[in-house]
Amino acid sequence: MSASENKYIDQATALDASVEDQIARNMVELLNSHAQKLPEAQAARLADARSLAIGRLVNREAQLAGHSLHRNGHALQWRGGRWGHYFEQHRILSALLIIGVMLFALFAVQQLSVSHQMENSDAFLLASDLPPEAYADKGFTAWLDTN
Amino acid sequence: MVGYQLKLKSLIFVLALLVYGVSVANAADVSWSELSDAQRKVLNPLASEWDTLRPWQREKMLDIAKDYPKMNADKQALVKERLTNWSRMTPYERENARKRHQQFNALSTDKKAELRKKWLEYQKLPESERAKLRADSPDTYTDADLN
Repeated sequence: MSASENKYIDQATALDASVEDQIARNMVELLNSHAQKLPEAQAARLADARSLAIGRLVNREAQLAGHSLHRNGHALQWRGGRWGHYFEQHRILSALLIIGVMLFALFAVQQLSVSHQMENSDAFLLASDLPPEAYADKGFTAWLDTN
Repeated sequence: MVGYQLKLKSLIFVLALLVYGVSVANAADVSWSELSDAQRKVLNPLASEWDTLRPWQREKMLDIAKDYPKMNADKQALVKERLTNWSRMTPYERENARKRHQQFNALSTDKKAELRKKWLEYQKLPESERAKLRADSPDTYTDADLN
């Protein structure tokens, strides 16, 4: 191939690239100008679709972040070692464990207050030094105030 | 997943409360023939009227039967002697008696002895005078205090 032929091919290639670039610019301008003139309904649909897509993306990222936190920051993993891993793997069991601890605490509080309740129960009121009538009699209370 | 776990835990908690509530309600709703021998022995003064008592009244009486074995023989005799009168007192009188009994328990031994003496003195007053004292005394508690 001669030098003149090579030069011709280079010029044609440069021309093609220039034309292609110009066509692309024209298309962008055309799209931009049409985008400005879109009917309101179409613009609204496009805006909705964009919001939907962004929302899905945000949700997916949040789920990924939550999953990562759950895997790495589960409270029971503070326990460390195989127990932490075991409880993480058995979530229902850990829920039952928490409920069990709560019930045990309730039982313990009830047992601690039994002696106080006994002193104030109706049975001990009936067995008191004074009969129940003495406590319930408003007249006795009034009479005590004046005597 | 987290929402599911929360719902499961809430469901278990609500079911536990429901079972507890139903068991407490059923415990009080028993006829005289359904009582145990030990309960019937304590509550014998109420045998003829037991089935006419309301569930909440029965519950209170069953509480008395439950505490009865914890007392010595003298206290048990007092409970049996006073039980009939206690069951015939109005809810207002009973609530008044409970609150006065708590106050009495907080007194010193000397004060308690003094009150016992005063009660005997008050009993010697003519019934008309005691009735006037009762009539002249304003109610201390509202209906909301009663159960």
